[in-house]
Amino acid sequence: MSQAARIRFLTLLQREVSRFMKIKKQTLGGPLLETFLYVTVFGAALGTRIKELHGVEYIVFVIPGLIMMALATNAFTNNSASILQQKFLGAIHDQLSSPASPLELLLAFSLGGFVRGAIVAVLTFIVAIILTALPVDHLLVLIPALFLVGFFFAQLGVLIGVRAEQFDDVAFAQTFVLTPLIFLGGVFYSASLLPEPFETLTKFNPVFYMISLVRYGFVGYSEVSIPLSLAALTAATGALFLFNLRLFQRGYKLRS
Amino acid sequence: MPAPALKIEDLQKRYGNGVEALRGVSVEIAEGEFYGLLGPNGAGKSTLIHCTTGLAQPTGGTIEVFGHDALHDYEQAREAVGLAPQEVNLDHFLTCEETLDFHGGYFGMTRKDRRERTRELLETFSLTAKAKDRTRALSGGMKRRLILARALMHRPRLLILDEPTAGVDIELRLELWHYVQKINAEGTTILLTTHYLEEADQLCSRIGFIANGEIAAEGSSDGLAERYGVANLEDAYLALVGRKELSRSHIEAEVV
Repeated sequence: MSQAARIRFLTLLQREVSRFMKIKKQTLGGPLLETFLYVTVFGAALGTRIKELHGVEYIVFVIPGLIMMALATNAFTNNSASILQQKFLGAIHDQLSSPASPLELLLAFSLGGFVRGAIVAVLTFIVAIILTALPVDHLLVLIPALFLVGFFFAQLGVLIGVRAEQFDDVAFAQTFVLTPLIFLGGVFYSASLLPEPFETLTKFNPVFYMISLVRYGFVGYSEVSIPLSLAALTAATGALFLFNLRLFQRGYKLRS
Repeated sequence: MPAPALKIEDLQKRYGNGVEALRGVSVEIAEGEFYGLLGPNGAGKSTLIHCTTGLAQPTGGTIEVFGHDALHDYEQAREAVGLAPQEVNLDHFLTCEETLDFHGGYFGMTRKDRRERTRELLETFSLTAKAKDRTRALSGGMKRRLILARALMHRPRLLILDEPTAGVDIELRLELWHYVQKINAEGTTILLTTHYLEEADQLCSRIGFIANGEIAAEGSSDGLAERYGVANLEDAYLALVGRKELSRSHIEAEVV
C-alpha cells in the first residue's frame, strides 16, 4: 500500500470515527444505557425467578447475547446512517471524486461502524464484569466470533446505507428485520427451551448461530457446532464483503 | 507536446431512465486555459463534469486528464482535478478546518502539508475566524468560499467550477472572479460552467456552447458572436437556444 493510499484510507476512517464521536451521547451513551437497562431488568427482575439456564446463572447467560447485540446493532446503524446521511447531503461526492479506490472506501465505511460497535461492546463487557461474574472460557473462539459478527453487521449496514434512498429505508431494515432477528435469535433465552415449531424455526435464524458462538466464547455453553458456525459466519461475511465491493466498483446508487 | 489538461472524445452518457444526457461530446482544453462551458439547464454541463470527476459513469467515449485515462487511471486523473460543485454539499458534522483537512487526506496529503494548506486557504478565503465552526453554521457566501477552498486544497492542476457564483452577492462574485483569475495566471487550468454570460465573457479565453448533450459551437467570445452573426456573446447564446427575440437590442427596438 502506497503512502498516499494509507493516508487516504486512514483519513476516510478518521472521518467515520469522528462523526460518531461528535454525537457520542447518542451513538455511545444511548446504547450503553439501553444495555444497562437490559442487565437491570433481566438480572434483577427475571433473574430472581430464573436462577440458571444450562447450569449458567441467568444474567450471565444473557450478557454474551447483549454484548453481541450491542456490537451488531451499533455497527449496522452507524454505517447505514452515515452513508445515507452523506448521500443525502451530497457530501459523499467529496470522497467519491477523490483518488480513493472502491476497496479503500468500502473498508473505511465498514470499519467506522465496526469501531463504534466494538467500543459499545467493550464498555458493555466492562460494566458486565463489574456487575456479574462473567467468565471468558474460550478466548480463541470469542475473538474471531466477535470480529466476524461485527464485520458482518458493518457490511450489512453499508449495504443498507448504499441501497437506501430515504431514512425510512434504514429504519425499516433495523426495526423490521434486524431487531426481530436478534431478539428471536436467543439473546434472552435458550432455543432448546422453546416448544416446537419455534425451536426448529430458531435454527433458521442466522443470528442464533452468532449468539451461540459468542455465548460459547464467554460461558462455554453452545447449542450449535462451533467449527461449522464459525465457518458459515466466515463464508457469509466474506460473501457480503465481496458483494459490497462489487457495488462500490460499479458505483451502485453512489455514482450516477 | 504536453498532454492537454482535459481531452474528452465522443463522450456519451445515457442514464438508467433512458435520458441521453451526452451524445458524443468532444472537448479539448489546453493546460493553463480558462474554458467556459455554457448551455441551458439540462444541456449536459453537470453530467460532463460528473463524468470527468468520477461521479457519473460514461456509457461511451474517453476522458483524459493530463494524459491519464479518467476511468482506468482514475487515481492519477482525480489527483489532478479539483471540483467546486454547483450544490452546497458540505458535511454538517465537520468544522471548516476539518472539511479542508479531511479533503486533503482523501487526496493523500501528509498531515503537516494539510495543516499548512488549511491555514493558508482559510486565510485566503477570510474563513480563519470560522475555522472551528461547523459548516452548517456558515452563511451561504461562506459556504461557497469554503467549497472553493476545498476544491483547491490538494493544489489541483485542473479546477472545475460548476456554477460557482450561483446565488452569491456581487461582492463575493467579484472576489471569486479575482481569485480564479489569479490562480489561472499562476498556471491552473480552469473549466467553468455558468449561467452568467458576463462572467464567461470576462473570465474565459475560450467558450463552448453545449445544447442537447452536444457541443454546438466553440470559440472566443467574439468568435462566437461572429459565428452567429450577432453583436455579443449574450446574443450568440440566445441564437443558440433559439430565443433571439429576448435579445436586448431586439427588445429595445420594439420598445422604441
